[in-house]
Amino acid sequence: MTKVRTAPDFVILFATLCLLGIGIVMVYSASAVFAENILHDPYYFVKRQIIFALLGITAMYIMMNIDYWVWKKWAKVGYMASIGLLVVVLLVGIEVNGSKSWLGIGSFGIQPGEFAKFGVVAFLARWLSDRQKEIVLFRKGLMPALAIPVVCFGLIMLQPDLGTGTVLMGAAILMIFAAGARISHYLFFAFLGLVGFAGLVISAPYRMDRITAFIDPWSDPRGAGYQIIQSLYAIGPGGLFGLGLGQSRQKFAYLPEPYNDFIFSIIAEELGFIGGTFVLLLFLLLLWRGMRVAITAPDLFGNLLALGIIGTIAVQVIINVGVVTGMFPVTGITLPFLSYGGSSLTLVLTGMGVLLNISRFSR
Amino acid sequence: MRVSNVTVRRRIFIALIIGTVLYASLITRLGYVQLAQGQWLQDEAGKLWGRNIPFIAQRGKILDRNGNVLVTNISVPSVWAIPAQIKDPKSTAKQLAVILGENEDKIYQEITKRALIRRVPGGRKISEEKAREIQKLALPGIQVAEDSKRFYPEGAFASHVLGFTGIDNQGLTGLERIYDQFLKGTDGHVSFPSDARGRLMPGESDTYVPPINGMDMYLTIDSNIQRFLERELDQAMVTFLADDALAIAMDPNTGEILGMASRPTYDPSSYKDVPQEIYNRNLPIWKTFEPGSTFKIVTLAAALNEGVVSLDEGFYDPGYIMVAGARLRCWKRQGHGQETMLEVVENSCNPGFVTMGQRLGKERLFSYIDKFGFGHKTGIDLNGEENGVMFKLNRVGPVELGTTSFGQGVSVTPIQQMAAVAAAINGGKLLKPYIAKEWRDGVTHSVVGRTEPVEVRQVITPETSAKVRYALESVVAKGTGRNAFIEGYRVGGKTGTAQKAKGGGYSASEFIVSFIGFAPADDPKILVYVAVDNPKTAAFASTVTAPLVRNILESALQYMKVPKREGQIEREYRYGDSQYVEVPNLLGMKIDEVAGSYYTLPLDVAGEGSYIVKQSPAAGEKVQEGSKIRIYLGDKTSN
Repeated sequence: MTKVRTAPDFVILFATLCLLGIGIVMVYSASAVFAENILHDPYYFVKRQIIFALLGITAMYIMMNIDYWVWKKWAKVGYMASIGLLVVVLLVGIEVNGSKSWLGIGSFGIQPGEFAKFGVVAFLARWLSDRQKEIVLFRKGLMPALAIPVVCFGLIMLQPDLGTGTVLMGAAILMIFAAGARISHYLFFAFLGLVGFAGLVISAPYRMDRITAFIDPWSDPRGAGYQIIQSLYAIGPGGLFGLGLGQSRQKFAYLPEPYNDFIFSIIAEELGFIGGTFVLLLFLLLLWRGMRVAITAPDLFGNLLALGIIGTIAVQVIINVGVVTGMFPVTGITLPFLSYGGSSLTLVLTGMGVLLNISRFSR
Repeated sequence: MRVSNVTVRRRIFIALIIGTVLYASLITRLGYVQLAQGQWLQDEAGKLWGRNIPFIAQRGKILDRNGNVLVTNISVPSVWAIPAQIKDPKSTAKQLAVILGENEDKIYQEITKRALIRRVPGGRKISEEKAREIQKLALPGIQVAEDSKRFYPEGAFASHVLGFTGIDNQGLTGLERIYDQFLKGTDGHVSFPSDARGRLMPGESDTYVPPINGMDMYLTIDSNIQRFLERELDQAMVTFLADDALAIAMDPNTGEILGMASRPTYDPSSYKDVPQEIYNRNLPIWKTFEPGSTFKIVTLAAALNEGVVSLDEGFYDPGYIMVAGARLRCWKRQGHGQETMLEVVENSCNPGFVTMGQRLGKERLFSYIDKFGFGHKTGIDLNGEENGVMFKLNRVGPVELGTTSFGQGVSVTPIQQMAAVAAAINGGKLLKPYIAKEWRDGVTHSVVGRTEPVEVRQVITPETSAKVRYALESVVAKGTGRNAFIEGYRVGGKTGTAQKAKGGGYSASEFIVSFIGFAPADDPKILVYVAVDNPKTAAFASTVTAPLVRNILESALQYMKVPKREGQIEREYRYGDSQYVEVPNLLGMKIDEVAGSYYTLPLDVAGEGSYIVKQSPAAGEKVQEGSKIRIYLGDKTSN
């Protein structure tokens, strides 16, 4: 096994740091008013964002220099740990906004769901690269492979956290597809998945509200449609050039937690279509370069691991921006690199470190 | 590891394509929202950002024709909440609930709403004591502000006409309701951009839209005349133990309502204390009943106008008249015998009126009834007016024609009778009665609008009208209306007594008695109608309602400074009536001469001396027999 380590993909690094920088500025802009009013410290959120970013960059640097096939050994442990944490969070988790997704450690909280995304990606990459030939078989290949994310998905849905669950399943399905699963099997599962999703939506009334609110947010502007409308009230008036940095009006408590899931609304409001498009193009750049890494990785584990990492980020971006622009029903999910996110920011940067390491072995 | 397979790479590439397409669609969607929908969303959002603090417009006052205030506004405390400033909504709600006697949860929900300013439930128009208690608590975000409330300085006074307002000062009944749009004005506001928590957003400017106060409404009603009506109705209810009573006064030349009253009545400031039948029924426009003899004025006017009778032609009344085999009785069983048509009117002789009706024929009589406005709303500016019920022309046989001629079998409202009789006596013009006379700006008092009299149609000729006046004056001077006679004022009028319709037939013992009277007969200035329902202590219009109308007319004519007339139809003396005598000229006479000669007029002597230097009333005036004459004595030489 001869692998030549070269320089990492600087475009990915550049785009990541760019997004991180925009994120820090926008978290400040979006949170200052709220932080000043509630916590009497306008820098409360941005200070923490910078700390987590620095932690994340450190982690990214370390990961960049640990050769990625190490993770193949650790993948099983990571996956089991993910399941363990997901069980623990159900027992002792802190409920935030109706969903038991946080584990508190002192003043510091982590979301096992975020951790599980990477646990699943790593373990699935290992599983698929070891059993690639069997994937075309329905019962022996596809079913066990699907069981890996579905177990975590099930646990996450018990919290419940549809956003994280969807991202996790999205990335896993992408990986299994890339590994060579049969299209006919996929169509079958697509159908099953649709039925299952419908079942989940119907089982929880708040999800149904979000769907109807999505179809016609103005039918209940004070209730379920509130967030979508407030988000559109931010984005719409932004126009081509935006209201100017710091000039958002919707961040004045109209949009709930504007520095978090709805940060893209504030970006679009303050920086306009140009600013919003610039951010999306950075993500697109990241997608292309990330996919390029996935394609050019020296081994199948590398292919799938890189795909899993970049896929997780891409699915999250598509869902988040789709939600805030009113294309999808509201699903609580952060925008990678940009949303105020604490541990999840550190984790996503850690993932980028792994991706960058894979890029160093591109052929 | 070398088996890097083509399938995997191809599939990752497919994923890349799909991802790129999805990203592109995000950018497209962003562009659509920001560039295509941007303006619309901005407008919608603008409504959200601009928070309004309302400035409530003052409701217009209601005044009588002379500017006396009938309804005005007073300040009362109300409690408001500014949710953003409330620190502890739970305990705030609890404390307010105790004082206001309102449900705690309800208050909690209201004061935690995502809004700038909310009314606290149960906190509207509260007592001063409660307001002080709340202010003492000094709860953050809870404020006591002045609200305004309707105030009726006269209490229960023209209540049905004025009406009252609800908690939002919205007109609910009467003039308050029908003219709500003019009275209420337009609320103003200060609008400033604020965040959802109600705090000011920096860098945006306020706009102030001042409230436009409601207009002041001046009525045709004269509070003095209204007071006379109220006074007489109060008297009537006590004296006659009636079920209800009503009175209207109107200027017959313009249709202006000078007064309108109903019994039972209520105080508009506490309308909730009385059943809704009381405040909802403005009897003068709502009550429909058989008019009885007052309706004969219509028959008379029609017959005179068509020339089918003349007042001096003869008529014989045997006490009944046969119509199509049915015997229609006169109210006087033995009949009035030989009389003139004028005496038919004076005596309210039913067979005489049936004859007038027969000579007119049903088409002509009913066409006059219609032209006088019966069967239609008069269009007075009040809510709740009724139509009344007429016979359908194709169902009128000889008997119906006969009974209609003397006011039976039809159902009319008092206001219809007012309008019709006004037309009969004012020269023939049917006028639309009205109450709102003038609109003025609440601040500058400049006149904004004025109601002009509306002539609906000419019903009879001025000549016929003059004859009707003469006949009706004669009714009061010589006939059934004698109890309404006022010396020197030439009162004309007509009684009405109708059995109450009850369960498809007539009640044997219950009557609605009425009188419609006007003065002076040569140039009517005021028309008054009074009806009393089911008086228990007397049953005839001549003894119940004629004196009431007389009292109202006498007070009103003096108040209106209507000069006394000469050439009145002299009152026919009957036993028990007091005679009127002319005051002689006593000036310059010696007191000893006078003392012996005028024993019918007791003297009230003042001053010292042997000659009369001054007397009151003056020579030539008519006074009731037995009235005192005041004389002042002095020395003839000193004059």
